[in-house]
Parts: sequence; structure tokens; C-alpha cells
Amino acid sequence: MHELSIARNILELVDATCHEQGYSGVETVRVNVGKASGIMTDALVFAFNCAKDETLSVNATLEIHEIPVGGRCRECNSDFISQETIVLNCPRCGGAAFEITTGHELEIFELEVDG
Amino acid sequence: MKVKMVKKILEANDRIAAGNRALLANHKVEAVNLMSAPGAGKTTLLEKTIRALDGRVRIGVIEGDIQGTHDAEVISGLDVPVVQINTGGACHLDANMISDMLQEMPLDELDLLVIENVGNLVCPAEFDVGESAKIMLLSITEGDDKPLKYPLMFQKSEVLILNKIDLAPYLDVDMEKIRSDAKKLNPDLKIFDLSARNGQGMEDWCRWLEDKVKSR
Ligand SMILES: [Zn+2]
Repeated sequence: MHELSIARNILELVDATCHEQGYSGVETVRVNVGKASGIMTDALVFAFNCAKDETLSVNATLEIHEIPVGGRCRECNSDFISQETIVLNCPRCGGAAFEITTGHELEIFELEVDG
Repeated sequence: MKVKMVKKILEANDRIAAGNRALLANHKVEAVNLMSAPGAGKTTLLEKTIRALDGRVRIGVIEGDIQGTHDAEVISGLDVPVVQINTGGACHLDANMISDMLQEMPLDELDLLVIENVGNLVCPAEFDVGESAKIMLLSITEGDDKPLKYPLMFQKSEVLILNKIDLAPYLDVDMEKIRSDAKKLNPDLKIFDLSARNGQGMEDWCRWLEDKVKSR
């Protein structure tokens, strides 16, 4: 259950940002989670809700934006997006010489805050 | 009101990991993060490795366990510095736990620090602890479907050790499938076949480790 550690990290970062910028509470925390990051999104929401007491996010909802796995193939020179969690071959040409460019994200990108 | 921010969620962990890495580099200590599922044979491998490198590489061990001290007791019987972390339920070690333990370690007297992670194929791969290489141990008794089920650990590791190969004749496991799936996930992955129990293949692995320490 590393989702609990991840949730605690999110709550700490949000609290730190709110203290820095003078916000008193949070309504929504929006995060990007790549499909290849190894995070179970349901477990992350569950962990967030368990851990949010006594933080500025106590009334907040965690909103997860899942980012698909994407890559750039050096054999057919195309960019691709996959619905899979792992990509072993370029979906266009079947080649193996590609780089994964998206799908490992794990970041907070937006908060809805009270003034 | 909307507030835009871009914060890597593991930023705090990664910052502490960078500090650990710098501290280890200052003391010229190479650190490897040994990861596997429970029962893959990490402690036996470590025990045999320490014996094999006795007199050649000065090794210290950080032993991570959810609870209990059994593995640490096995290792401390070998007369190397060992500290134990009980994560109290957490399924992985993080950089902060390692940072605390580095204070307890006689770093100036070490060439190599082995961090034996908690037995789990998912979470340990997620957390940088400041190691210079991640080593994954897979027992062939676990089956040949593991690379595609747990891709992240294969992708992040520099070395894959296939352990318990002495059992291959008794198992219905396709070792070539493990190797080729693992290589597809990580073309640079270095693979060692060995049996920590009977010593087969241990030499190649130990030589790799010794070379890694020497080239630091
Ligand atoms: Zn292609």
C-alpha cells in the first residue's frame, strides 16, 4: 500500500503551499497520475480520505487525472499513445526502439482553495 | 479560487535521497538497493555474498523489514555492521528512513552498503533512497509472468538476479520468457542466473559487485 505514503506526501505538499501563500482551506486537489506510475487510483483516493484529518485538506476531494502511456518511436518516427499500462512495442510499426515520454507522472497540478 | 502549481509528489523523498547519495559519495561508499518479493531469497543471497567477498569488499547492511529482527540476526552473525529498520507496516523503505540509518553506519569503514528492502515487488521500486543501483532478485519459483505483471521494478533495476536455478528441472517455468520479457522492458538490464543455496553462478554476480565497488 504505497498509496498511503503517496497520499501523505500530497497532503504535506498542499499544506505547505497553503501556509506559504495564505490559504485557509482546500476544496479540491487535482493530481496527474501516469498509467505507468504503479499507482492504484482507487487506493490513492481511499488513502487520501483516510489521512486528510487534521490537515487543511480535511474537507477536500482528490481529483485524479490519469495520463496514458505515450512514446516516440525512433524506427517509424511517430508519436504514439497507448491504452496499456506497459508498452513493449511501438503500436504503429511494432518496433522496439522507442522512448516512453508520458505515463510516469505523479504530480499535483492544481488546487481549489478558500481565500 | 483555482491555484496552479506543479509539484512532484515525491519531491520531498527525492530531495532526501539526493542528500543520502551525496553523503555516500563523500565517504566513497557504493550503495545498492536489493529488492524482491517475500521469500525470493534476499537474505540467503546477501549472506552468501558477504561470505564470498570477505576480505575483498567491506560491506555494511541496512535491513528493512515490516516487523521482526530475524533477517538482521542472520546477517549480524557474519560480523558486519548491520542496522535494522522496522517499517511498522509500510511496504517499502523511503529516503528518510535511510537518512536516519546512515547516521548509525560507520561509513568511513565501508566500501559497499547493501540496503535490503522490504519484500514486495511494487512499492520499493517507486521510492529512490539514494542508492547507486537497484538490484532485483526474482526466484524462478515465482513463475514466468512476473516481468509483465510488475514492470516498474524491472524497468528501474540495473541488475536482475534469477535465483534458485537449481530448482529449474522441477518447475514448469520458462526462464527464456522471463529473460526476454525483462529485456523488452529494460534493454540495458544485466541478468545473472544463480543459486544462492548451492553457490552456482555466485561468482559472476560477486565479480560484478566487486567491479562496481572498485569503479566508484
Ligand atoms: Zn514505430
